Amino acid sequence: MLLSTRGLTKRFGGLCALDGVSLELREREILGVIGPNGAGKTTLFSLISGSQRPTSGEILLDGQRVSGLPAHRCVRAGIVRTHQIVRPFGGLTVFENVLVAAIHSRRPAASHARDRTAEVLEFVGLADRTTQYPSTLTLGGRKRLELARALSTQPRVLLLDEVIAGINPAEAMAFAALIRRVRDERAIAVVMTEHVMPAVMSLSDRVIVLDHGKQIADGTPQQVVANPHVIAAYLGTTETEAAAS
Amino acid sequence: MTEPSPSTPPSGAAARPTRVAPVPELISRPEGVGFLACVAALAVLPLVLELSAYAHNLITLALVMIAGALAWNWMGGFVGQVSFGHAAMFGIGGFVTGRLMLSLHLPGPACWLGGAIVAGVFALGAHPMLRLRGPYFSIATIGVGEASRLVFTYWERFTGGSTGLSLPIDSDAKYCLYWWALGLAGVVAAASVVIRRSSLGLKLLAIKSDVDAAADVGISATFYQDLIFALSGAVVGLAGGLYASYFSFIEPKDMFGFDRSIGFVLMAVIGGVGTPLGPVLGAVVFVLLRTYLLASYPQLYLGLYGLLLIFIILFEPLGLIGLSRRVLRRLRRRGAGTSVMP
Repeated sequence: MLLSTRGLTKRFGGLCALDGVSLELREREILGVIGPNGAGKTTLFSLISGSQRPTSGEILLDGQRVSGLPAHRCVRAGIVRTHQIVRPFGGLTVFENVLVAAIHSRRPAASHARDRTAEVLEFVGLADRTTQYPSTLTLGGRKRLELARALSTQPRVLLLDEVIAGINPAEAMAFAALIRRVRDERAIAVVMTEHVMPAVMSLSDRVIVLDHGKQIADGTPQQVVANPHVIAAYLGTTETEAAAS
Repeated sequence: MTEPSPSTPPSGAAARPTRVAPVPELISRPEGVGFLACVAALAVLPLVLELSAYAHNLITLALVMIAGALAWNWMGGFVGQVSFGHAAMFGIGGFVTGRLMLSLHLPGPACWLGGAIVAGVFALGAHPMLRLRGPYFSIATIGVGEASRLVFTYWERFTGGSTGLSLPIDSDAKYCLYWWALGLAGVVAAASVVIRRSSLGLKLLAIKSDVDAAADVGISATFYQDLIFALSGAVVGLAGGLYASYFSFIEPKDMFGFDRSIGFVLMAVIGGVGTPLGPVLGAVVFVLLRTYLLASYPQLYLGLYGLLLIFIILFEPLGLIGLSRRVLRRLRRRGAGTSVMP
């Protein structure tokens, strides 16, 4: 098992944002995390990437405990995230944005970092934009940049927070293909949250569903969409169904 | 969504050969030659020209301030954490130097080094404050600066209280301090350019533009901020030590004063915050301005600083460097229309 969490819980005062989530991620797997707004998807990512500390529970990468490590140490251990709202370094060019992340990966050496930066920019399709500033890119372009920056740290686990939401359908298709290539060509395991259901269902090997911080389903996309709890969480229940359950 | 085709992304990364950007040189040859020529010219200046004591004073003071302003800019410009408390390190450098000279009779360079180390360690003590960003950090530094002024004013056994300390006067050593100050300013200027262009500079820029995103790509913002703040504090402490030796009389009110902290900010802002060498210009202008204003309008000069700050930030946020870039661009555009220049 590449990555696993055990009873991962995060409380903000009285609010339980995440309640005992245990998930497992295998090598070369795309795991979709879905759930209504406020279900705890982003909190889950913040915990796994080290941006926040769990209240209880633990996170294991290759059997090694990574929970409690600060974000920059998690990156060096091989876990990297992208943000729902892209956060490029505005004062740096596209090339420098990726380079500064490449410098910090597990295999340093400045010249390697430059080669790797060029290779990653080629991979995501930004090779002809290297000297531009992020503000000149479209939203889709900035999402590619965010992906490139994450990939250049040479992760083993890539956490994608709503990368497809908000970009136009043609770009979304291309982006989905790119995510699949990340898994197939670079052998990186991907955990992705997404609001765009068709995208997440066609891409994911497995899906887990969160609702109010609790994990309510786990399985293949087909199993999950047929699960009555999931339907209830997304569509709500009628009063008679609620009374019956 | 239908099955996405596995084609390449639409932004057209077709099979063009990838050109890796060349590794930029830290300092190119013409830059190095120009820099050394400037330093050499300044080094022979007092030997060739018969400098008046006043001019000698003014240039030495400017050189010391250049070093301080450049070091302030590492924190305020490169990392983007604007400190209004650098007078604390300046004062500590100065008083530690003074005490080492008076009590232990150590030679000048040893005293300055001692002052720099104590100032650098003191700056490391700002570690908890580095959680704060932007205006909150700046406000905290005002508090630290003012608190250290009060502590050192009342710590009479160490600083002599409000009467200050008189250091041993040695006119030969004082004359030589010109070259020490020049050496310090030169080294700090070269270091500024190297830091800015190295991978360290890139990391600092990343931290400046988004601390959390920097952590998410593996940069430890805490470590680099501590490192830069300590280095910046040490250099400012060193400048304080040279200042103390040169003027041979120091008092807490002057060394730790709030207007000294403002001075570091203003020098960088006049020259160009975040530009590697802007603070050099800023410090020169500031020292001339301050000398003139103090002599002519002693009651008004702090107010005039404020006005200057407002005007620069409103109209030319990159200070003199920004202004000269604008002028150069305009000249080049005009030149391109009429001449055969490329």
